Amino acid sequence: MTVETQSLPAGSLARPSFSSDLRALWAVAYREWLYVVRYPTWALSLLVWPVIFPLLYLLTARALSGADGSGLAQFQANTGVGDYVGYIVVGTTIWMWQNVVLWNVGFSLRGEQMRGTLESNWLMPTRRFTYLLGSSIPHLLTMMLFLAISAFEFAVLFGVRFEGSLWLAMLVVLVSIPSVYGLGFAFASLVITAREANAFVFLVRGLVMIFCGITYPVNLLPAWMQPIAAFLPQTYIIRAMRSAALSTAGLEAIVPDLQILLVFGLAWLVLGYGMFQWMERRARKSGAIGQY
Amino acid sequence: MGIVEFELYSPSLVSNARALVAIVRKDWKHYWRYPLNAVSSIFQPLIWLTPVYFMGQAFSQDGQAHGFAQYSGTTDYMSFILLGAILTSFINAVFWGMGYALKTDMDSGVLESNWLTPSPRMLILFGRSLTNLAVTAVTSLTMLALAALLFGFRVSGSLLQAFVPIIPMLVGLYGFGFAFAALVLVMREANTMVDVSSFLVQIFSGSNFPVTALPKWLLPVSLALPLTYGMDALRASLLGTTPLLPLHWEIVLLLVFMVAMLWLGTWAFRSLERRVRRWGTLGQH
Repeated sequence: MTVETQSLPAGSLARPSFSSDLRALWAVAYREWLYVVRYPTWALSLLVWPVIFPLLYLLTARALSGADGSGLAQFQANTGVGDYVGYIVVGTTIWMWQNVVLWNVGFSLRGEQMRGTLESNWLMPTRRFTYLLGSSIPHLLTMMLFLAISAFEFAVLFGVRFEGSLWLAMLVVLVSIPSVYGLGFAFASLVITAREANAFVFLVRGLVMIFCGITYPVNLLPAWMQPIAAFLPQTYIIRAMRSAALSTAGLEAIVPDLQILLVFGLAWLVLGYGMFQWMERRARKSGAIGQY
Repeated sequence: MGIVEFELYSPSLVSNARALVAIVRKDWKHYWRYPLNAVSSIFQPLIWLTPVYFMGQAFSQDGQAHGFAQYSGTTDYMSFILLGAILTSFINAVFWGMGYALKTDMDSGVLESNWLTPSPRMLILFGRSLTNLAVTAVTSLTMLALAALLFGFRVSGSLLQAFVPIIPMLVGLYGFGFAFAALVLVMREANTMVDVSSFLVQIFSGSNFPVTALPKWLLPVSLALPLTYGMDALRASLLGTTPLLPLHWEIVLLLVFMVAMLWLGTWAFRSLERRVRRWGTLGQH
């Protein structure tokens, strides 16, 4: 008996290749972009959150300073920091960046699960990691825009003087991307099987909020808390960004932090990819891909 | 065959009460079905307060925030902020409880079918906020107990007296909540609106700091918010802080706010909800 095989067109998605993976990546990224623009309130978020989130801490700091500035003098004596406004806005912005990545990238697969499309998408003959990577691209672009808008608004509305270098600040952002997004990938893998994903976001962003010194120097923390801060990459991102954007200390001052961030970034990317492979396989075996 | 005495399709006080109980039970079961989320709602406020605690320590000498006392009348900034955080949780419960519940129903595709039940729609909204209020009461008390251990919390005034400003404030907030829920129906997007508005209200009503510390051009925004007087009266009653106005005037203001907001919120919800039904967008999200 002879079996006729139907030939597929060259470069078809059904015959996985590097170029078909790239096309799938583009398709996922474009689909995600459509989601982003379908709900235009995100543009409002980009403009509003950089101002109102730090405002809560800035106004509290203003009240703590006292009408005669006696509290501020105490702050300067305790921390060695003169301008608390620049200090706080850098810390809160890094926190917001990580927070948004956890929600958007971390929940991209969960969103598919909720809409009931994850299982059918999983049947695509393309690498499954492409799906997660593609979803992250539009969010990375909007977050870069978010950081730029934040810096502009801080300068105009809060009078923050960025005495450092724009190039160094951009370098810190670039070096931070693997750590921030690697954590997002690991997270996205976890929430495929965890039903109470919100609680995990609250935990991770809570750790950043408590330990990484978003509004105060880490050395003010009790001695037992400081080693925990040393294990969180956001501690180094915040410190390096404060130095790069607000001071004239230059590249030498941030090199040690950048080196640590590169190590963290590599570790988180490997961990994120490994966790994705493991959790995805586990979810398929237990049939949890379509459940939530 | 027996005769059924009460049926939901002939609405009465009893059938409405049964619908209310059903909504509350459903939300209560749903909430505790995810115990990790429930635990995290206790720790969330603590997490948000920790940076403020350490920041306050940086501005203090021997744990006393003397600069803060110049605006508020107390050096105990953490007790001041903790009371603000608890009241903010209740404020958010009313905001979230209704507007966000509608968005959840829209997303899961049950809003249209819920709308077809013969229960009054405002009753459905009210019911969706009740579980939130109950949960907020449980989590806030637990959070306060933990915060007292971690940061210290001392009150010197009367608890009973503190309820006098809180009740008209929370009832008035329902008016806000109804109007807000109507906006969610129209815009079909809740997260950004809820997050931004509740955060702004939290800032300008002085949940973390005395509003007298605001720059002069921002102070009118605070003074225009009735919640500012609710926060202020609560702290004056419990902590002995310096109130913005004499306490009895603050309570009168809150009563006026309650009546005005209930009327305005009900009117806004009825007219916008009718418009959404005419557009036929109720089932969309």
